[in-house]
Amino acid sequence: MAQVGKVTIRVPPDIKRGDVVRIRSLVIHPMEIVQRQDGKPVDKNYLFIHQVIATYNGREILRSDTTQSISENPSFSLAFRPTEPGTFKITFLDTHGGKYEGSAEIKF
Amino acid sequence: MKPSRVLYAWLAPLLAGAIVLAWLGGEGTAQDPRSPAWQSRAIPESRGDIQEVDGKRVQIRYKAAPFSTVTQNFEQWPTYAYVDTKTYPPPGQVAMPAIEGDPKEGRKLFMNRAKAPCTACHLIQGDDVWPAGNIGPDLSTYGDRGLPDQFVFNLIYDARLFFPNTSMPPWGTAGIYKPEEIVHIVAFLKTQKGNPPFVPPSEKDPARNPFTRKLESYFGDNLDPTNNPAVVLAEGAMALWTQTGPAGKACADCHAGGPERAMQGVATKYPKYIARHGRIMSMEDFLPVHAQETTGVEMLAQSADNLHMTMLIKMQSNGMPVNVDVTSLEAKAAYERGKALFFKKVGERHHACADCHQNAPGKGADKFLGGRLLGDAEKGFTKHFPTWRTNFQVVWDIRRRMQFCMLPLGMNMLPADAPEYADLELYLTAFDQGKPMNVPGIRH
Repeated sequence: MAQVGKVTIRVPPDIKRGDVVRIRSLVIHPMEIVQRQDGKPVDKNYLFIHQVIATYNGREILRSDTTQSISENPSFSLAFRPTEPGTFKITFLDTHGGKYEGSAEIKF
Repeated sequence: MKPSRVLYAWLAPLLAGAIVLAWLGGEGTAQDPRSPAWQSRAIPESRGDIQEVDGKRVQIRYKAAPFSTVTQNFEQWPTYAYVDTKTYPPPGQVAMPAIEGDPKEGRKLFMNRAKAPCTACHLIQGDDVWPAGNIGPDLSTYGDRGLPDQFVFNLIYDARLFFPNTSMPPWGTAGIYKPEEIVHIVAFLKTQKGNPPFVPPSEKDPARNPFTRKLESYFGDNLDPTNNPAVVLAEGAMALWTQTGPAGKACADCHAGGPERAMQGVATKYPKYIARHGRIMSMEDFLPVHAQETTGVEMLAQSADNLHMTMLIKMQSNGMPVNVDVTSLEAKAAYERGKALFFKKVGERHHACADCHQNAPGKGADKFLGGRLLGDAEKGFTKHFPTWRTNFQVVWDIRRRMQFCMLPLGMNMLPADAPEYADLELYLTAFDQGKPMNVPGIRH
């Protein structure tokens, strides 16, 4: 696996003022899935991303809690309407205290 | 299971061939001049060894779908192996059994996915026929043609009797449909009539009919890691690049400047003839040999390490034109062998690559096999391999693609790194000559 915690952000090209922009982000993360023993889930602190926070020019535009993992290297996408050019920043927090950040410039 | 009972299907004919050659030549050379003896360096599931399990001979294959869906052993049918001397039984006149054909039973057999299904290539009436293909003639109004029963029977039993170059499998000769079953299918085809004659009923859904179905296929930007997981896997191979192997060396120790510099443009020349091994080798074939000799890492063909490293190396040539050698003496010979394989009829269903992937009358390129659009070999197959398969969520290189191309059509797969596949790959890559590489691809 590539370096854990590496965040890749894709911004669509040619954004015009007033457009709804769909941004895709990918974080390299093992995203541990629930193990089962004798048909019952094992109770432990699973390593997965449990919070995603997106900000634009410092202003929080999304805060999302995720309850469990589905696959490794998760991809999150969100759409919003930027009113001015600026910096999009996304932060992933995992259950073991890991914090992974990535940012991208949005230009008109 | 005792090891002595393990038979290596690919080895057995090889040894037999070697014995015959040794006997003919009297010099004890254990090599067929057309195919250098090659010890497979692939993971066990991809070698296609034959094992005896509960008194039945079975071929060891990949455990994952779709390989797991084909369990039959097709040992008795011809394969691409150069040492293979098996021939397909010739067509013969078969008398139609004197029983009453049941059109309903015939329709069921026509649609039977476990046997054919005929609808993969032929369109018939009925909204439940979905998705139908159009490689073969449209049979929606076949009954209007008024053909004699015995003729239609023989056509299904073994079409080679009338059309020597047909793409249709000889269903009777192959033993897939019994003569009684073909009688039912003949009875069913007589019911396919238009009103007025030769005018099929109008379609409710244009997507049902392969002649009017749209040819769309787009899976987004294949080099975007948020879209194509194979890019992430390829980047992950960077760890292998810098990892010191058992021999005390890493790739990075000899190939200076990282893959970006060291491997730039390297992959455009593959598959290429490597004199030391006397055969054509793709990147996937070369890595197990080269890594073993230098770093000591076992990078077996079809292992995750091999596929990911192949992608990492090939990515460094993205955008650069494919530039394989097909003019040197050895490469030209291999190209010709690959071309012969492309047109060679193999397997239980007596198919050649060309039947589906050549753009010619009666052939399948740019037509639908069931719901799947078949590619045209001349437009290029190889420049985006290894590629992410969205439906299986794994990376396939061209070899695994080839292995699964023919397996459902009744040919036991060869080892992934077989020289036969390498020659075939060279023939296919030659169609991509000059086109920009684009690895890893993404396909359904």
